[in-house]
Amino acid sequence: MNSDTISLITQIIWLAIFILLITGLNQKIQMRIWAMDIRNKLNIIKRIIDEDRMRVEKIISNLGYKTPAVLVDRVLDFFVIEPVGIEPTDIIKRLDHTLRTGEGTLRRFIENSLPNVGKFERSLVETSMEILSGLNLIYKVIRHYLLTGERENNWILLMQLELVMPTIMKYVETYHMALDPFTTGKPIGDSLGPLVVYNLVEKSKMLSKRVVDDTSIIEAWLEDRRVLFIKAEGPGSNVGHPGAVINSLVEELKGSVDLIITVDAALKLEGEDTGSIAEGVGAAIGDPGPEKIAIERAATKYNIPLRAIVVKMDYREALTVMRKEIFESSLKAMEHVLRLIREETKPNSTVIVAGIGNTIGVPL
Amino acid sequence: MSYLDPYTVFTIILVIILIVYMFMETKRKPARIEYVTRELLVCYSCGFQVERDHEPGDFIGLVKGKCPRCGGDLKIKGIYSVDKSKILKAS
Repeated sequence: MNSDTISLITQIIWLAIFILLITGLNQKIQMRIWAMDIRNKLNIIKRIIDEDRMRVEKIISNLGYKTPAVLVDRVLDFFVIEPVGIEPTDIIKRLDHTLRTGEGTLRRFIENSLPNVGKFERSLVETSMEILSGLNLIYKVIRHYLLTGERENNWILLMQLELVMPTIMKYVETYHMALDPFTTGKPIGDSLGPLVVYNLVEKSKMLSKRVVDDTSIIEAWLEDRRVLFIKAEGPGSNVGHPGAVINSLVEELKGSVDLIITVDAALKLEGEDTGSIAEGVGAAIGDPGPEKIAIERAATKYNIPLRAIVVKMDYREALTVMRKEIFESSLKAMEHVLRLIREETKPNSTVIVAGIGNTIGVPL
Repeated sequence: MSYLDPYTVFTIILVIILIVYMFMETKRKPARIEYVTRELLVCYSCGFQVERDHEPGDFIGLVKGKCPRCGGDLKIKGIYSVDKSKILKAS
């Protein structure tokens, strides 16, 4: 190859680059590559949804419902509209009402379709369908932006979508993996709070138990204190209404509560160890608002110290089968709660301990 | 017979290295950890503990067999997932 040939090739390459830049064709090519990659990932999500849908339909038909596809279709596109945010008056009440109506409606769909099935199985079906609904929503939103970006030649939209796709795929995979515990009834990472309460009840002398608003209230005697344990009623997939229950319990006791402790799973920051325990002040609960504010209001009204213990984990660990490290941390968190009770209250005091989270696989 | 000049050889090698690097980058995937569900059985009389594979239908608090040490009830204390490779190494 002589120098003239090399020079010619170089000239052609530079000319091609120049034409691409001037006409904007390079962006079009880049856009096509991004769209192709997003479409491939979208196909993966579709395959996951189809697989999970088949699994859920099989479970429903095994429970005796003849046309599971009809029920799944009805729940798949079920939505809850957020209340008006620009008018703050009564927003918590309105949000609570909307969330409870949504929860109740979904539950009734399933109750009406599976009337002879137990509460435990029904709760598993309900959560499995919520997972499916979440995956379907992700799929539809990505498809919407992909088609909009392609139609309008909006390369910025496609670029943003392409950059965010790895994170979305992680969420999709997590939801897909979460279907296993919710179809088999195994505890998940988020079950940590209820598990801590269950272990504490095992350690104490149980006096009574009642269920209010899908939430168990267990009165027990522990460390010479009267302890009221709060957790979602198990062992089905249920988060209960711990905030509302704590609020009514404090009112019932006319504020004579010496300490409120909430135990929950918390999302860790990158670099933090799974299962590490942290102690703090406030209500450890990750609901959209109504439950948390109910605890805060009750504690503030009667000046009750509000303490929190959290165990760190990532999003995937919170939604999939409980990892051994988290289980071991639940035992350590229990010791933390006992220490807090001993340090912060005197014998014969009244303490509320709330285990926040989904109680799947954890009885009581 | 004409020989390639050093500049061309350098460019070709650089392009090959870049292509190989890009190919390896796209193929590289983080190792996927496989988990299995296990359960911890505890005897509340003598403190004996044993870890077994989870069986469908098992739940926390279920009495599952007798303690080989004292004959007391073996109760499921925890159900959790463990890295499969760690179990294989331990057994």
